[in-house]
Amino acid sequence: MRYLEPLLVAVGVCGIFGLWEAMVAGGIINARIAPPPSTIAPMLVELLGRANVIRSLGVTLYEVAVAFLISVPVGFFIGFTLAEMPGLGAVFRPVVNFLFGVPKSIFLPIFILIFGVGIEQKIAFGVFTTVFVLILGGISAVESVPRELVTVARAYGANRLQVVREIYLPAMAPVLLESARLGMIFNITAVLLAEIYGARDGIGYRIAGWGESLQMPQLYAALAIVATLAIAVNELLQQLETRLGAWRQRPA
Amino acid sequence: MTQSAVSVRAVTQHFTVEGQSTVALDAIDLEIPPGQFVALVGPSGCGKSTLLSLVAGLRLPTGGTLLCNGEPIVGPVPQRIGMIFQEANLLPWLTALENVAFPLKLRGVPKRERLEAARAMLELTGLGNFADRLPHQLSGGMKQRVSIGRGLVQDPGVLLLDEPFAALDEQTRMVLGDEVLRIWARTGKTVMFVTHNLSEAVYLADRIIVFSARPGRIVDDVPVDLPRPRTFSMMSSERFGALKDRIWAHIRDADH
Repeated sequence: MRYLEPLLVAVGVCGIFGLWEAMVAGGIINARIAPPPSTIAPMLVELLGRANVIRSLGVTLYEVAVAFLISVPVGFFIGFTLAEMPGLGAVFRPVVNFLFGVPKSIFLPIFILIFGVGIEQKIAFGVFTTVFVLILGGISAVESVPRELVTVARAYGANRLQVVREIYLPAMAPVLLESARLGMIFNITAVLLAEIYGARDGIGYRIAGWGESLQMPQLYAALAIVATLAIAVNELLQQLETRLGAWRQRPA
Repeated sequence: MTQSAVSVRAVTQHFTVEGQSTVALDAIDLEIPPGQFVALVGPSGCGKSTLLSLVAGLRLPTGGTLLCNGEPIVGPVPQRIGMIFQEANLLPWLTALENVAFPLKLRGVPKRERLEAARAMLELTGLGNFADRLPHQLSGGMKQRVSIGRGLVQDPGVLLLDEPFAALDEQTRMVLGDEVLRIWARTGKTVMFVTHNLSEAVYLADRIIVFSARPGRIVDDVPVDLPRPRTFSMMSSERFGALKDRIWAHIRDADH
């Protein structure tokens, strides 16, 4: 049974590609708009062999990674602070909530004014978008810590540091990882959006270029690459989350 | 005269809730000799659980002093006083064995040593075969057994139980009551046991302290003169009924 599911997925995907191929051949789909998989696949291989494409991918990955590495500590720290300091939380939590709901893309022109169109702007915009997810994640992580367990630890002589290490961290870990994963999705979206909107390099910049010049095989091949990378990152974080949160499973 | 295991002297506890001060405990005096099994009963909100948390050192009283073996209680002293809560409150990410070993971990006892001690406790509480289970894989009664093991693992002289079986079904409650008695008989610990269940109090204890409603005061100190070991059939005896009636009279009067 365990091997059946991936097998079914593989069959499904092959089916879709087959259908796609057939529909292009039959003239139902316009090959100019959606070139068949048999055209995209060789293009994908070709793109991965081009030095400038690889460099662009590297630029994007670098921006995504740096934005994430800044967002995680900053977001969680702000989240913990707002959760642990009721006065501060009362003032700033509504603000964070409002800002979380505002589409960040409307701020892109401002980011270009401040940071230009280079790597810094992509990182800044990535952080700006991601940090709200992590602030909210940090707050709910603190709130997910059962107070009774803190009492238990104190009754058994735990000091402040031990309460943090033995109770807070393990209790918060699954929630933190979950919001980190969610934040990563926002982060990738933000960096690509910023690259497509205005950049000198990065895979989003390439995608925008191929799109504008109607180079459809290149565009689709790039979409496949980005999608694969995003799925891989997401799966990795999900695996980690499942492993660290195994204790959360309810009895069957 | 032997020194009391626990002394409560003129202890008063005030709480301020939304600007209003209430008296939870009013001038409580209580001496508990070593090895005694004391049940604390009283209407809801009479402060019996508060008294337990004071003895555990989880908070400091507004007035008065608490002593353990003659020494003032100014904070948790887990090596002397073990606390068992109403909910088992196990750490859900640790196995049964690691949960029992947790107090030793906080004290910096090396891993092998503390797991060995914890294993012995799980054997004592009848969970030897469930050491590697996570809490969510255990029943309510088993979780409470783990929690009792955790309370005992440092071999404290005093064991505090705050309505430990309140969340369990009647059968499990009876079985665990006998279990606590067996462990108590074997280890000779001093026990303070808060409960709402009068039969449980009479069945388990040497002595029952009855509290009034707020402000919590001691209204009766009832010696339980039933022979040990206690048996199920005693619960239908006349003496058992008379003791329960005596306690119930106080609580009925107090709880409006």
